[in-house]
Amino acid sequence: MSFTQQKEDREIEEALVRDLQAGNLDAYDKIAELYQKKIYALSFNLMRNQMDAQDVTQEVLLTLFRKINTFQGKSAFSSWVYRITLNASYMKLRSKKKEPNISIDELLPSFNGAGFQQEKIQDWSENTESLLFTNETREVINKAVGLLPEKEKVVFLLRDVEGLSTEKVSEILDLTIPAVKSRLHRARLFLRKKLSGYFEEYNSQKGET
Amino acid sequence: MICCKECIDLLYDYIEGSLDQDTSKSLEEHFEECPPCIAFLNTYKSTTTICRDTLNQIEIPDEVRRALQSFLKEQKGQQDKK
Ligand SMILES: [Zn+2]
Repeated sequence: MSFTQQKEDREIEEALVRDLQAGNLDAYDKIAELYQKKIYALSFNLMRNQMDAQDVTQEVLLTLFRKINTFQGKSAFSSWVYRITLNASYMKLRSKKKEPNISIDELLPSFNGAGFQQEKIQDWSENTESLLFTNETREVINKAVGLLPEKEKVVFLLRDVEGLSTEKVSEILDLTIPAVKSRLHRARLFLRKKLSGYFEEYNSQKGET
Repeated sequence: MICCKECIDLLYDYIEGSLDQDTSKSLEEHFEECPPCIAFLNTYKSTTTICRDTLNQIEIPDEVRRALQSFLKEQKGQQDKK
């Protein structure tokens, strides 16, 4: 995002917050228009359930309206929106049965004593195109992301999927920049490994026919 | 020469372009001698791209959009009465 774009976004946000704090009802629609898709997409990616994501989106919008006077502008308004969305999603997730997390370490790369790669690494990066938008691939990707531990998943969704900057993610999650980077790196390693299994199998099948 | 483990630890910063010149150079030297790490780099980058392209496609379904609209209207109505 360009600097001017960022500045404009910031100004739009600030004006909106002022309107909302002044009780201007039109600001309701503008807030919804600007943020409901982001709120819905993030909560859907965290919970993988349409009804839950709808509930959370409503709840978040309501919180924005009701708590607007507690927003002090110490962080960006959008960071505040993301934080409320995450909290609401986690509350919802906690109220449901939780599937046991698998350990991320099992899926990190392994090395021999000298620090060299131990497994055979196939380069499937050129062959994903034809597969990308099939339902099966989408399912595999959704499942892999779903298996990420919570801490890594949220960083991955905000930074790599939503495309926010490392600084912004660190503000939203109240993490240091190195912590954001290391979680994101671990998330990518984990997902790479998960997806490798799928694409390698596909490539070897293609080779046979 | 740096080993594969160091190479993979550096991937994140390498892609960001935030490595200093020397480190970047020794990483590239490693790549020249180590095809598995090139494959790793390529698939590491692809992972981000394909996950983003897949998860980014989420749109609010029409029925949810309608529900949100009437919810908003209701909320505004309540505010108006105050
Ligand atoms: Zn290597």
